Amino acid sequence: MQERAEIRSKYWLALFLVAAYTVPFAVGIYTENVFFDLQWLADLTTVILNGIMQGGVYAMFAVGLTLIFGVMRIINVAHGELVMLGAYLTWMFFFYVGIDPLLALFITLPIAFCIGLLIQKLLLNAVVGGPELTPLLITFGLGLTIIHIVEAIFTTDYRTIPYAPDALQLTETIAVSKSKIISFVMAAFISLSVFFFLKVHRIGKAIRATAQNADVAMVCGINIFHIYMITSGLAAALAVAGGALVSIQFGFNPETGVLYTLQAFAIIVLGGRGHYIGALIGGVMLAVIESLISFMIPNGTAMVEIASYGMMVFVLLIRPRGLMGPKEN
Amino acid sequence: MAQNEHLRNFGMLAILIIVLSVLPPNLNLYQRSVIMFTMMYVVLALSWNIISGYTGYVSFGHVMFYGIGSYATAILVVDYGWHWIPTLFVGVLVSFVISLCIGFPVLRLKGPYFAIAMLGAAEGTRVVATVWDSFTHGGEGIGLPNVENSFETYFAMLVVMLVTIVVSYWVGHSRFGIRLNAIREDEIAAESLGINSTFYKLSAFALSAIFPAAAGGIQAYKVLYIDPETEFFILVTIYMKLFAMFGGKGTVIGPILGTFILYIVQEITWVKFPTAHLIAFGVFIVLVARFMPRGLMGFAIDKGWARKGMVH
Repeated sequence: MQERAEIRSKYWLALFLVAAYTVPFAVGIYTENVFFDLQWLADLTTVILNGIMQGGVYAMFAVGLTLIFGVMRIINVAHGELVMLGAYLTWMFFFYVGIDPLLALFITLPIAFCIGLLIQKLLLNAVVGGPELTPLLITFGLGLTIIHIVEAIFTTDYRTIPYAPDALQLTETIAVSKSKIISFVMAAFISLSVFFFLKVHRIGKAIRATAQNADVAMVCGINIFHIYMITSGLAAALAVAGGALVSIQFGFNPETGVLYTLQAFAIIVLGGRGHYIGALIGGVMLAVIESLISFMIPNGTAMVEIASYGMMVFVLLIRPRGLMGPKEN
Repeated sequence: MAQNEHLRNFGMLAILIIVLSVLPPNLNLYQRSVIMFTMMYVVLALSWNIISGYTGYVSFGHVMFYGIGSYATAILVVDYGWHWIPTLFVGVLVSFVISLCIGFPVLRLKGPYFAIAMLGAAEGTRVVATVWDSFTHGGEGIGLPNVENSFETYFAMLVVMLVTIVVSYWVGHSRFGIRLNAIREDEIAAESLGINSTFYKLSAFALSAIFPAAAGGIQAYKVLYIDPETEFFILVTIYMKLFAMFGGKGTVIGPILGTFILYIVQEITWVKFPTAHLIAFGVFIVLVARFMPRGLMGFAIDKGWARKGMVH
């Protein structure tokens, strides 16, 4: 019986995803934005490629969230604010010191690691395993604080970093901007190295053990509070790395973090909460559907936000495990 | 609870109402509007409290219903030429229907997932209000006719506040409220005792959705200009949540007390330190959630200043 419901929910999820990918096309045909000539197909390919590239960046900050959730069962609502903070840190190093945004990662990542460590040590260690809503409120307040501190320092103006703005022509009609390719490669590199760190390194193994069962991990001699702190630092570093990659592609201001939180949350729900590879796949899927929407639906850029909320709510209702999440959580 | 405790609580309420209704002629315009907004936040905090304090489903998107109410009033007054009082009832009705439509799927989610789904729903409503130009005037907002209305809106808000307090008090004391508490403590156990949890959650959600709509409508008529950014502003949700939590969620006196203390403090600091006060609010949320999760009333109960029965 249980098995059958399980399989049924899998089919419903597949059906939902197919429907979600069809809707932009249907609306596009209805509003006559879809032509099916060669030029349009080339545009479509460009859009999908761009979506995949962007998905790498989304995945970048979603894996941080999924890591925290997997290990501590905490939803860090301030995650998007850490992304935003990362973008501002990179911007600061670029404009005041003149360091290349990608080289700046060597400085910003240790800073981010320490920030994550401190947040965990001071605020979250005491509430792990308690009522689920307390950490939610704490991180929410933390996010608000970060937003307004950044706003007090940098004002609400949009900032951008001019970095590799020209496009790479793949064929005559298909082009992808270089900054997107660079950030996709960086995102793939960083998230895969964290993945192998988790698989191979002793601390990575300890993190996975804590995620599976904190009590047993403790019995085996793992100091789980150290592991929590390392996880949190790692997640903050991933968020800040995501922020650096965001900063070379898009404009950002203090308020943009909220959107990133919601996107990251939608991604980890889709991929399966606490599942690392799931977050990577979910990131690409969400980014592709978002770019399809903004390509084919008129006024679509405003609709993009609705895509992630709808995705999140429907997946939670149909199949809370998501694509590949573990059964019980 | 004993009969005389009801009497004493209603006596306190009567004193509050009498004080608030004899005050206005003695105040200037600014003080009147500060007290009006305080009452508005009492309404918001108490209605947030019905779904989140009593039932335990913490909503991060209650501003949605407030925005729906204010848009109903603004659209009907400006585009259809209605008198503003009937529009409040339309806003309440619309908000009620929408809360049922949204609540039915979303209330199946638990804990943090409900919270974030509500955050998404509120943001989604904001996007709809921005995009749907022909009906909501889109991002440019709606300007209402400029008339002197500080007395009308003051007393309308007073009435809405009175109704909200009485309904919250009733919820806190009736079988209905006890069932909501049972759902908060353990939903599966409550269901096994024969409580239809879907029905009760949905009614609590709808009940908590109608008062913000009325408050939002009055506020729209008072401030004369609304747009999606201010009417679906996430800070409004934060305020109602913080006021209710600071006072003590799951009680009636708590949110009232919390609002009267914090809103006045916020109003004073806001004038002096426009950005710093938001930073301070973030820190304050963290501190309240971390060290005082049960709020002022919980603190008072622990110290023995208030009896447990009294605060409900």
